Amino acid sequence: MPALLVTFLVLGALGLFLALPGGRRCSNLLGWLLLAAGGACVVALLVWLISGGAELGWSIGLGLVGLYAALRVITHQKPVYSALYFVLLIVAVTGLLVLMEAHFLAVALVMVYAGAILVTYVFVIMLAQRPDPAVYDIRAREPLWGAFTGFLLLALVSGRLFTGGEPAAAEALEPALGPSGTVEAVGTLLLTQYIVAIQLVGVLLLAAMVGAIAIARRQVRPEADQSDIAEVAR
Amino acid sequence: MMIAYLLLGATLFALGVIGFITRRNLIVMFLCTEMMFQGIIVTLVTFTRFPLAGNPATLDGQVFALFLVAVAAAEAALGLALVVLLYRYHHTLDANSWRLLKDE
Repeated sequence: MPALLVTFLVLGALGLFLALPGGRRCSNLLGWLLLAAGGACVVALLVWLISGGAELGWSIGLGLVGLYAALRVITHQKPVYSALYFVLLIVAVTGLLVLMEAHFLAVALVMVYAGAILVTYVFVIMLAQRPDPAVYDIRAREPLWGAFTGFLLLALVSGRLFTGGEPAAAEALEPALGPSGTVEAVGTLLLTQYIVAIQLVGVLLLAAMVGAIAIARRQVRPEADQSDIAEVAR
Repeated sequence: MMIAYLLLGATLFALGVIGFITRRNLIVMFLCTEMMFQGIIVTLVTFTRFPLAGNPATLDGQVFALFLVAVAAAEAALGLALVVLLYRYHHTLDANSWRLLKDE
């Protein structure tokens, strides 16, 4: 595993632990500085490994925007801003998909996520959010162990990425690029080879819609017992 | 080029896992599951774009990612309906306030 990757993992875990909302004062700035240093490490590693030209520049730029948005989603104390940063993440991922010539998927992603799912999220947040910041948004649950576990998983996966021999040789061994995912190509595949699967997905979406309506229409009696909540909200 | 995309996909997945573990707001936890889906989509499309040696170049990965988007939409609809129902019980979005499965 290259030293720059290890540095990125350690700095990322430490910085994310400090940047997560945890009731500590004055440590958020240090956390973001550590995260920025980790990002610089991974950019240096990629530039050193890959001679990709313009595509590498675009993908690194979009990837950094996406990573920043993802970090803000999990560190911001207000859920509305988390949802809006998630839109930024979707836009960055869409740019990466366009770089990889997955045009149909990019359009579908923007329409489904940024158009439909995020509107639902914002509606629910507006329905359920109190004006003052709640205690469960200010204090994270076990930020140290959460960051440690997540970056351990990332170390496992990314370590395997870099153990396939010499990086330059691995890049040279890459075969020809895959086909371009235009609307025509993907649509033809969907309506010929995957016709049964797409019908099943339609049934699944219908069942989810009916189920969501059935769940949300249920009458509940408001809970009178507040002592449990007061105990948990410590 | 492939390594950069795969690293980004793995990082997005790991950040989603961390957010799901550490955040206590139910809505933010659901956003983190969607973030994990984004990491998986990036990985699937990367393997479509750069097929491994000896494999035919097909579009199957992108088709699979499209099905993933559909499943994510169904999951978001059901999950948010459940969140609204839970909020109407306790008037809080704290995941820690739902430690008991039985109806009190």
